[in-house]
Amino acid sequence: MSWYQMHRCIYDWVRAGEVNSEDSGDGRAGFDVSAYELTDDERKAFENRDIAALYNLGLHEVLLNRFCRAAGFARDDYRKILEPFGQKEERKARWQK
Amino acid sequence: MAEVVLAYCASHAPMMSSARMAAPEEQRNNFFGALDAVREEAVERGVQACVVLSNEHYTNFFLENFPQLCIGLGEKNWGPTEEWLPIDKVWVPGHAGLANHIARHTLEAGFDPAFSHQLELDHGIMTVYYELDHSMKIPLVPIVQNCAVPPLVPVRRAYEFGKALGDAIRSYSGLQRVAVIGAGGLSHWIGNPRVGDIAEDFDRWFLERLERGELDQVLDIPDDELELAGNGAHEIRSWLAVAGAVDPVRPRTLAYEPVYPWITGMAVARWDTTPDREQTSASVGAQDTRREESLP
Repeated sequence: MSWYQMHRCIYDWVRAGEVNSEDSGDGRAGFDVSAYELTDDERKAFENRDIAALYNLGLHEVLLNRFCRAAGFARDDYRKILEPFGQKEERKARWQK
Repeated sequence: MAEVVLAYCASHAPMMSSARMAAPEEQRNNFFGALDAVREEAVERGVQACVVLSNEHYTNFFLENFPQLCIGLGEKNWGPTEEWLPIDKVWVPGHAGLANHIARHTLEAGFDPAFSHQLELDHGIMTVYYELDHSMKIPLVPIVQNCAVPPLVPVRRAYEFGKALGDAIRSYSGLQRVAVIGAGGLSHWIGNPRVGDIAEDFDRWFLERLERGELDQVLDIPDDELELAGNGAHEIRSWLAVAGAVDPVRPRTLAYEPVYPWITGMAVARWDTTPDREQTSASVGAQDTRREESLP
């Protein structure tokens, strides 16, 4: 797994579509995924917008959230995709009675 | 010397802008009503510049270099970056004098903030800043913190930075009236199977601790416990920095609404830093209000 390269690819793709101070937000159209050293699973997950696969490959949750928004997933949709991977939390926090 | 004439914190869920009407009407009115109140107060008190603390969302920094804290020193910063956020994309005026003073002062106080002469501001700052000033003309000193990518600065350290920040503002001679604002939190989950959940018990507990001044219980929370209120709960660092900046003043919660369509515990709390101050009777014109004053 090329954890850094996967993050770099997702980050660059998200930022390429944003309206930052120097770009008008149209950089995703010609995005070249071959510039990144990804495994086959990582590349497929990115190209297929496979949210579950990206989650299971360890993509940082903040970046996954940004990717989902940029790729057009509504939150309800991506929650349904991720829900099966949830684990019951047994721990109690200090604010919980 | 400058005075902190306004201090408050607010949640910054992007849906407060992009899906405003998705929230139930009563919740929407309560949350935005609180923001309206602080906006009116900013005008009444003649706020000349604001310092807004929020958190980095992989907008300015990536894994090559991820500062725990970065102060925007520039004459201007750009935002919002999100193409889908319905706030005009503009150059927001900075305040280099105040920002550099904060950087120098906090360095001398033992902190090591990074700095940037041009930050890209995402919803984290822009949603709350826009609600403060729809014209987006009030000079803004942005401070972004790492609240997402471990290892994170300990919660207590964020509070202590806030104390140094407050001292810095109060020792700045180039302005008289400054607002300090925290943006982020409260409980929410993003990018994981619990997205959409809200830990109302945490939110109410946290707000109550702030109001009572019982901060030790909050400042001792390790990150893995705080995460039980969601990976977005780490953003309370901005709230605690504001609490530190105006210590020992305690806040009053103006609004708390668990807004499920916005997937976030949405709160506004305000610290009355100048309880004896007479508010100016006439609203000062915006341009006059926001112009830096040259003081001897």
